[in-house]
Amino acid sequence: MMSDQQIIEGCAKHNRKAQQLLYDKYSRFLLGICLRYASDKAEAEDILQDSFLKIFFNIQEFSGTGSFIGWLRKVAVNTAITHYHKNLKYRYHIEIEEYVSVETGVSSFEEDFFTSDELYKVLNDLPAGYRMVFNLYAIEGYKHKEIAEMLGIDTNTSKSQYSRAKAALREKLDKLRRIKGSYSAGNI
Amino acid sequence: MLEEKEEDKVFDELFRNKLENNEVIPSESLNQVLMQKLGRKEFLHFIPSRFNIWYLGGIVAAGTTLALILSSDPGEEMNLQPEPPFDTVNKSEISLNSGQDISQIPSIPQTIDNQAVISKRNSTLKSGNSNIRGDKEQTTASGEIISAPQNITGTVSGKDVLSGQIEGKDKLQETANRTSNIIGASVTSGCAPLRVSFKGADTFRSYRWSFGDGGFSDEKEPAWLFDVEGEYDVQLQVSGDDGTWSVSSVRITVYPKPVARFEISPEDAAIPDDEIVFLNYSGNSVRYKWNFGDGNSSDQFEPRHSYRKFDNYSIRLVALSEFGCADTLEVKNAFAGSGYYINFPNAFIPNSNGPSGGYYSQKSDEAADVFHPVYSGVSDYQLRIFTRLGILVFESNDINMGWDGYFKGQLCNQGVYVWKVRGSYINGEPFTKIGDVTLLKN
Repeated sequence: MMSDQQIIEGCAKHNRKAQQLLYDKYSRFLLGICLRYASDKAEAEDILQDSFLKIFFNIQEFSGTGSFIGWLRKVAVNTAITHYHKNLKYRYHIEIEEYVSVETGVSSFEEDFFTSDELYKVLNDLPAGYRMVFNLYAIEGYKHKEIAEMLGIDTNTSKSQYSRAKAALREKLDKLRRIKGSYSAGNI
Repeated sequence: MLEEKEEDKVFDELFRNKLENNEVIPSESLNQVLMQKLGRKEFLHFIPSRFNIWYLGGIVAAGTTLALILSSDPGEEMNLQPEPPFDTVNKSEISLNSGQDISQIPSIPQTIDNQAVISKRNSTLKSGNSNIRGDKEQTTASGEIISAPQNITGTVSGKDVLSGQIEGKDKLQETANRTSNIIGASVTSGCAPLRVSFKGADTFRSYRWSFGDGGFSDEKEPAWLFDVEGEYDVQLQVSGDDGTWSVSSVRITVYPKPVARFEISPEDAAIPDDEIVFLNYSGNSVRYKWNFGDGNSSDQFEPRHSYRKFDNYSIRLVALSEFGCADTLEVKNAFAGSGYYINFPNAFIPNSNGPSGGYYSQKSDEAADVFHPVYSGVSDYQLRIFTRLGILVFESNDINMGWDGYFKGQLCNQGVYVWKVRGSYINGEPFTKIGDVTLLKN
């Protein structure tokens, strides 16, 4: 078993075996990230491929000081952002008004109530812009100002997209819970 | 509002906890597709470590093409390949035993020689009394070439002597005056490396020079560089249109090059306090000219000198040999680069229980309750601290005593104070610094 360090060194020399090991070790983790930024798994896998190409060709830029996994995550997120920009013009934009008046009826969710697949699904179904901001803010932990720079939007846009994304997600989860709740109730 | 924030957090955390590091298994085919893409991309990027048969093939093809292009134009080819030794003036710089090794250019062994000397000197730093540090600029100037008069001692066999046999020296010497116009040299003696331009008389069909150090030339007017000391008998064999030929020779004397080397002692000299001793390690030299950089100079072998004040002096030694050849070593900023420093923090928190007197320790540093510098190599020191209105609240000439934040027994107000320090380091280099410090209360 090769250590991360050995894999990194191997990849820096474009050693095919090391590249394969890197893929085997981290592809699932990175796809987990990419899927949050995509509208379906096929798109997520496109982003994953591009991420790996970037990783393999730029691995010598990884300084070795920070966390390797953090660096991989950063590459994947940046690739997702690039992908988002590239495909922006082909996307179907959902009118903002659609979500403006959503009620914030549900105030808490039990963590284990939803599976991760269900959470991916509601994220995938979000409009791309909302999804980007929500991922970057809520999960990756960037500040609105940083997100605004990354996506080339206004800070206030980032803030409002975030709150709209949340409203939309909440509504979807609420709906999902009702379905699940009735399902489990029916079970009893 | 607060409630909503709280609720926001719960919502974000739901996604973060579930999805931040969630793993998703990629499709089976993805791996293969990726590796194919990678292969294509890597092929387009040249990566030395993945040097393979394809690149090799490409290089062989390119090399063959190049060779074909070159062989079709021999004139071009001449510029790309190591040239045979006897063609042009440039090539006559190929000296030493250039008959054996045509790629050896005299400046190269010399450079290596110099570096060897420098690195040797650097290694002596550890032994203690050297003041020449690696980070100082060192320059060596090559010796001047002393021109000699056109005093040609030619030895020539008469035109009528067809055998070409070199005859008795007395007789040749006798004929030299008569036929000295066959061979001309710009100089016949000088300091190594000595460059000599030779000139053969006009009336001959072919010229064959032998420089006495293994080098040859067929030019009419070659230039040659003698970079090793010694005496060289340079011969010129000329042949005329009528088939007659004759040999003429001239002696070139190359004097050894002196080497200027010195060290400064003591290594960590304090200026102006210390008297500096210049230790002379020069070679092949009999006379010395020192320039201490402050306007003073000396002709002594190992002079001593005291500087009046600290400055960035450049010290130069010119070493002269008995033949008048010279070498120069200059050490710039000979006394700089000490690595001494003095720095101040920008905030401190005085002890509110009463004045401490300003003497600081490890313990007071942990509480940051005394304002004082961190420093190295400070000899003279004066610290003064003013309020923003310019009132002097603290003054110390003792670097071991900092400011405890009190003025006339009263703890000063929280705020910004201005400090000014002046003094000098132990090598004599002065310093003056101004800054501000924020007094905080806890």
